[in-house]
Amino acid sequence: MQQIWLITGPPGCGKTNWIRETLQNHEGSCAYVRLDGATQEGLEIGHNAGIDHSWLKDQIPQLHKFSDPATSSQLSSSDRFVLIEAQQFSAPTARDDGLDPQIKQQLERFNLKPDRMLHFGVDPELPKQDTLAFTKLEAWHFDLQGCVWDPNSLSSFWFELVNGAYGDVYRAKALMNMPDGRSFFCNWMVSQSGSQFLPLQSVEAPTGRPKRASHFVIQGKGLFPLGIKSTINDCLLSDDVLELQQAQLRNQQPNLQATLQTPD
Amino acid sequence: MAHAVISCLHANLAAVQAVLDDIDQQGIKAITCLGDLVGYGPQPNEVVELVRQRAIPTCQGCWDEDIIDGLNACECSYPSQLAERRGHLAHHWTANRLTDDNKAFLAQLPTTLRRDKLLFVHGSPNSQHEYLLPDMNAFAALERVETAGAETLFCGHTHQPYVRELSGGSIRVSVQQSGSEPDRDQVMTLPMRRIVNAGSVGEPRHGSTNATYVVHDDESDEVSIREVNYDVAKTCQAIVEAGLPDVFAWRLSHGFEYAERAEDASHVCER
Repeated sequence: MQQIWLITGPPGCGKTNWIRETLQNHEGSCAYVRLDGATQEGLEIGHNAGIDHSWLKDQIPQLHKFSDPATSSQLSSSDRFVLIEAQQFSAPTARDDGLDPQIKQQLERFNLKPDRMLHFGVDPELPKQDTLAFTKLEAWHFDLQGCVWDPNSLSSFWFELVNGAYGDVYRAKALMNMPDGRSFFCNWMVSQSGSQFLPLQSVEAPTGRPKRASHFVIQGKGLFPLGIKSTINDCLLSDDVLELQQAQLRNQQPNLQATLQTPD
Repeated sequence: MAHAVISCLHANLAAVQAVLDDIDQQGIKAITCLGDLVGYGPQPNEVVELVRQRAIPTCQGCWDEDIIDGLNACECSYPSQLAERRGHLAHHWTANRLTDDNKAFLAQLPTTLRRDKLLFVHGSPNSQHEYLLPDMNAFAALERVETAGAETLFCGHTHQPYVRELSGGSIRVSVQQSGSEPDRDQVMTLPMRRIVNAGSVGEPRHGSTNATYVVHDDESDEVSIREVNYDVAKTCQAIVEAGLPDVFAWRLSHGFEYAERAEDASHVCER
């Protein structure tokens, strides 16, 4: 029997992590839909640009993704566990289902009628997180497709970022490529201790620039995008330096390319 | 008589002034500076001119050397590409800003200063670029002091102040001889030696924004580490107004060095 659940909550409350754990424990077909979220005055929605889906797909290879309403008929006709994620700042009210009209519109476009709606900070089925009440939020997004980081530089930059060197960052989430072909899901939220640096299971061969998705989204207040961009540029490897580092890796492990799993 | 040892001023005028005021208030007349007058900070000329005006005996630091000779440190000097880019940016900014007169002053600085059994260097007796860290192998540390003919070695460069006493040191030599002759052993016991790191006036790396320096009493031979609070915000504002990266100001105001130290701190560049 098909189940469709809608998971909502403010930025950084743990929606994607909860969805990952829930779907990993689910036996059978599963699907994931990420809605754009609801914009409000003074509260910008972070442009996720596929970070969450790429991360979930890496962790749950059988996961189906539906981002195009035209394919939604496949979604509704199948016998699947469908989890829908949407960013919503305020909790649903008692009088109504509490869903933001922008989220409702998207559900209609997908022809999705959730059986359950769970909101972080409200429903006890979800882990009790220290969800923040946002009154003002800026969002900033950077496409890093094909970019490769110097690992030590990334470490320094991330430290500066989450400690306030570029404004009051509340949330930072990214997929970052390393020269050895690995990619990391980097995740940080002001209300939670420490950062997550989780390696993707899919590893590309260290031969040039990776093909996989790589994006970076930040939400916060008083952000300093010029400073962020400038530092990022100082952290990314040029073609020459990338080749130099990858050539060393290939020499150390001549069979590396053959043993690596190539992402789809 | 007490004398003060300062190091790693890094073009931070407010910090230098505060430390000199603190020294003056104690009535200390003798000051020795272990170099790195410039680099990263926003007031290289002002700091060099203050040191010249006060006629403070100074040895040359790695930054002072690089500003004169040009950047030729190997890439291992930096732990990351980001740190290297920031270091190069600061180098070019400082080189463009520093007057010819002040460059000439830095160029003529000696690499070591000696007073009796006290030796003053920036990094180590081997190089302005070598770090003598507090947890450095004891034998290697003792070797640096002993071969330089010093009882107490004053250094900076690490930006972490410490006093390390090296006692109970000995060198054992065993000579294997031919035939049935037994091995010949020789043991030389070394007297206590000491490494004193003055920390940093202008770019602290000891967990606080305070400037540090040390005071040595010639009569009692005691060394004390002093911390001085200074107007960090004033230097941060000068960084931004000078057009240096804002993140330099952020790092300084949080007690972080502008660029992290190399992973292998014992590495000495092939120059």
